[in-house]
Amino acid sequence: MTAVVETATQVRDTAGLTAALEAVLFTLNRPVTVLELQDILQSTLPDIEAAAVSLGQALAGRGLFLQRHQDQLQLVTDPAQADVVRRVLRPEYPSRLSPAAYETLAIIAYRQPLTRARIEEIRGVNCEAVLESLEEKGLIEETGRLEAPGTPRLFGTTMKFLQILGLSSLDELPLPPQSASTSS
Amino acid sequence: MSREIASELERDPVYLVRTPAFDGPIELLLTLAQRAEVDLGAIPLASLTDDYLRAIERERPPLDRLAAFLVIGARLVQLKAAALMPQAPVGEEEDLQAWEDAIKGRLEEYKRFKELAENLMRRHASGRFTFAGLLEPDVIPQARVQVSLDALASAFQQVLDRLPPPGPVTVEMEQVSLADKLEELRQMLVRQPQLNFTAVFRHARTRLEAVVTFLALLELIRIGEARVAQVGAFGEISVYRQEQSNEA
Repeated sequence: MTAVVETATQVRDTAGLTAALEAVLFTLNRPVTVLELQDILQSTLPDIEAAAVSLGQALAGRGLFLQRHQDQLQLVTDPAQADVVRRVLRPEYPSRLSPAAYETLAIIAYRQPLTRARIEEIRGVNCEAVLESLEEKGLIEETGRLEAPGTPRLFGTTMKFLQILGLSSLDELPLPPQSASTSS
Repeated sequence: MSREIASELERDPVYLVRTPAFDGPIELLLTLAQRAEVDLGAIPLASLTDDYLRAIERERPPLDRLAAFLVIGARLVQLKAAALMPQAPVGEEEDLQAWEDAIKGRLEEYKRFKELAENLMRRHASGRFTFAGLLEPDVIPQARVQVSLDALASAFQQVLDRLPPPGPVTVEMEQVSLADKLEELRQMLVRQPQLNFTAVFRHARTRLEAVVTFLALLELIRIGEARVAQVGAFGEISVYRQEQSNEA
């Protein structure tokens, strides 16, 4: 009944593809784009999306956790297991950022992608140093350039941003502000 | 007196202006100036500011009062500047209203993000992180020899073929030690962590020297200090310096 493009000899149902996705994410152990996965799994985008959803559901209540940031997927440990994992790994982690850093992160998280000028408009102060430090920490990155004079850099959050907050995806961010200023 | 003005007077004034041209709360000054009922040209804003700065030195008013003065002061300066301009556009009051709305909107937007930021901070402080697996992809050990032995041997044969044919036999004790060659190779790899296979034999003048160099290379690969790889079939073989792993 499915009209899957049967390029390879093996025809996989969602369960099979989900298992394959889990295996690939486990071995690669880094954020993997859905585009890459299409190639690796020899599958179509909708099928991979379906497999990602099914893997996320299958992992509910388990020690592993599927994280999704924009078009990237990564298999990580469940936020509920953070304490025990930290005991094993003893990773040094900065428990706090500056208030300015959280503010900037919040603005970027909800309004991404956006330019430094837009962030500064909202915060009302120069944000160069904060952006630099967030970028250095790997919590934000350049996601492109705005098609405007000077082609300013556009900033967005990273997978690591989700990791320090234990979120499965950006959709899990608490109450997004009413985007009142979508115009302008 | 309009209701607006009356309410300005009822409020605890941000600052009392005392100048010959105007005497009263600064809020009232702004209201009147916006209606062009007072001539701002007659009020020296610079000395008004100086007086205010002296006043806050003494009284140390709370931050919201300081901010209120700043906003009113900025609008007075803007009004005065507009009045001084030869072709001051009419409808300043509307512009000011728009300006005030824009500022308010921005402040509200900022406030929302401030709340969200606190939310992020609490979440971060809760330490409910997610962790990726322990092994970084580039820490996964690589095969030390990624070239077939035949390819390695034939590359070496080419090196030998390139050497000048042995001349008349001169019996001479040549001292080429494996230890020296090992050290030489290590130095080469420190200077240049990736070498072409043939470059390894750059300094070899005799077959014996080339053979010992080759042995030295094999030894480095064996003890894990070097790695050889070939890009494709018949491609140039490269020798890489391999970082010593600390374990084992």
